[in-house]
Amino acid sequence: MRVRDLQHAVLPRVTSEERSRQEAVVSLRRLLNTRVRPQNIDAYSAEGLPAFVEANGRQPQSPDEVQEAFLMSPRYRRWSAANRAAQEMIWVSVGEPTYRDLDRMTQAAADLIDAPQKLGSLTLDPDYDPSPEVADLDIHLQPGGYGMDRGEHDVVAGALYECGGNVFSFGQGIGRGDSKASVIIKLLESDYEGFVPGKMLDMGCSAGAASAAYAAHWPDAEVHAIDIGAGMLRYAHARAESLGVAVHFHQMDASALTFEDDSFDLVVTHNVLHEIGADKRRAMLREALRVVRPGGVVIHQDVDIRRPPSLIHQVERDWDTHFNGEAHWATYATADLIADMHAAGFPREAIVEHDLAAIHGANRWYAISGKKPG
Amino acid sequence: MTSSVEALTSLLATARGNRPQSMANREAEDVLNITLAVLVELAVANDRIDRLERMVADLRGEPVEELRDLRYEGEIAQQRQEATDALLTRALRIMIDPRAQS
Repeated sequence: MRVRDLQHAVLPRVTSEERSRQEAVVSLRRLLNTRVRPQNIDAYSAEGLPAFVEANGRQPQSPDEVQEAFLMSPRYRRWSAANRAAQEMIWVSVGEPTYRDLDRMTQAAADLIDAPQKLGSLTLDPDYDPSPEVADLDIHLQPGGYGMDRGEHDVVAGALYECGGNVFSFGQGIGRGDSKASVIIKLLESDYEGFVPGKMLDMGCSAGAASAAYAAHWPDAEVHAIDIGAGMLRYAHARAESLGVAVHFHQMDASALTFEDDSFDLVVTHNVLHEIGADKRRAMLREALRVVRPGGVVIHQDVDIRRPPSLIHQVERDWDTHFNGEAHWATYATADLIADMHAAGFPREAIVEHDLAAIHGANRWYAISGKKPG
Repeated sequence: MTSSVEALTSLLATARGNRPQSMANREAEDVLNITLAVLVELAVANDRIDRLERMVADLRGEPVEELRDLRYEGEIAQQRQEATDALLTRALRIMIDPRAQS
C-alpha cells in the first residue's frame, strides 16, 4: 500500500489554488535543501569560523560554540531564516484546507468511527494526559503539536500531520512512492527470513500511515497501534477504516504500555526515537522488549542523522533542535542506542544497526533491531 | 464551510512557542518571511494563468505554445511596457521615494 499522497475520506479536499500553494512550498523547500543548504559548511569555513576566531582569539571548542560560529555567517543566517519560514509555510499550506474543510472531514471521521461494522477499533483513554515532553511542543512547528485534541470527533492533529508530512517529505527529496513500513518489511524479508507476524504493535503511529500499510501487507495479522493524542488517533482510525484495513488504535504512552508481557510477534516504531528524551527512550525500549514474545522482533526506525562526518556537520544537522521544535534531535543523533537496547534486556549479539535505502528516492533511514531470546 | 481567512486564523491560534531569530536584524527577517510568502503566492498565480492559457488554447484549437508565443507591437506593446514600468515603480518604491531613513 502506498502511504504518501493517498486519497481517503478524511483527507482535506484541496482546491487547485491550495494544491498550487503546497507544490510551491515543496519547490521552495527542495531548492533550499538541494541548492542552498549544501553551502552551509562552506559558509561556516569562509565566514562563520573566521568571525568567531576574530572575536574570541581561538577556535570554537564545543557544539554550542560551533553553533555560535555558524550564526556569525550571513549566508548561514539567510538560509536558516528562509528554512524556518519555509517550514512555517508547510503548515499554512495544509492548515488552510484542513480548517476550511473541517466540518466535512469531522463528519466523515465520525461516520467511519461510529459505523456499526468496523474492521478495526479505537480505544481512547480520557484519563491519560498526553506526555508533556511531546505534547507541550509544536514538534517540527506543527501548530498544536501531536497531542492536540479540540474535542469530540476532532481530527485536526492527524490531518495536519499527514498532509504536512507529505509536503515536508517531498521537499526533502523523499519519493512519493516511499514508505517506512515497506522499508521495514524489506528488512524483515532480508534479515529475518520467513518471519511473518501474527500480531504486531506500531508505537507512536501518528496518523497511522505505516500501521495501515502493515495491515494491508499482512491481512491476516492483528495490527495494533498507539499514540498520545486523541485527535491524531481518531484521524488514524478513520483513515484506516476508509482505506479498508483493520488496525486497532489505542491512546497510550510508549514508555508505559498496558499490554501483557509477550503479547506481540513484532514491535516497531517509526521516527519516534528523535521525538523523545533519553529517559522516555530507555523506558520505551524496555517496554518494547517486555511486550514482544520470545523469538519476536523489535525494530526502531528513524532519520539518518547519526553518522555525521564531523562536529561541524553534526551542529549543522542540529538546526532542527534550535529552529524547528525538534527538542530531541541531538539527543537522538548522539545517543548510544546499542547500549540502550542492551540495557533494556537484549543480548548484544541480538542487536543490529541498519543503514536502509528508501523504497523510492535517494533518502536513507536508520534502524536498530533486536530479537528477543527464547 | 469555513472561509480561508477564518481557516488561517484558526490555524495560527493553535501555534505555540517562540520564533528564534536567525538574521542579525529581526525586521529584515520579517521582510524575508513576507517576501517568501509573496513568492509562493506568485507561483499560485502563475499556475492559475497557466490553466487559463491551456483552456484558451484548447478553445482556439491551437497548441498552448502558440498562444504563449503571441507578440504584440505598437500601441498594445506600449501599454504593456507602461504597465511593467508601473509595477516596477510600485515594487521598488522604497528605492525611489525621497524620504530619508531617520
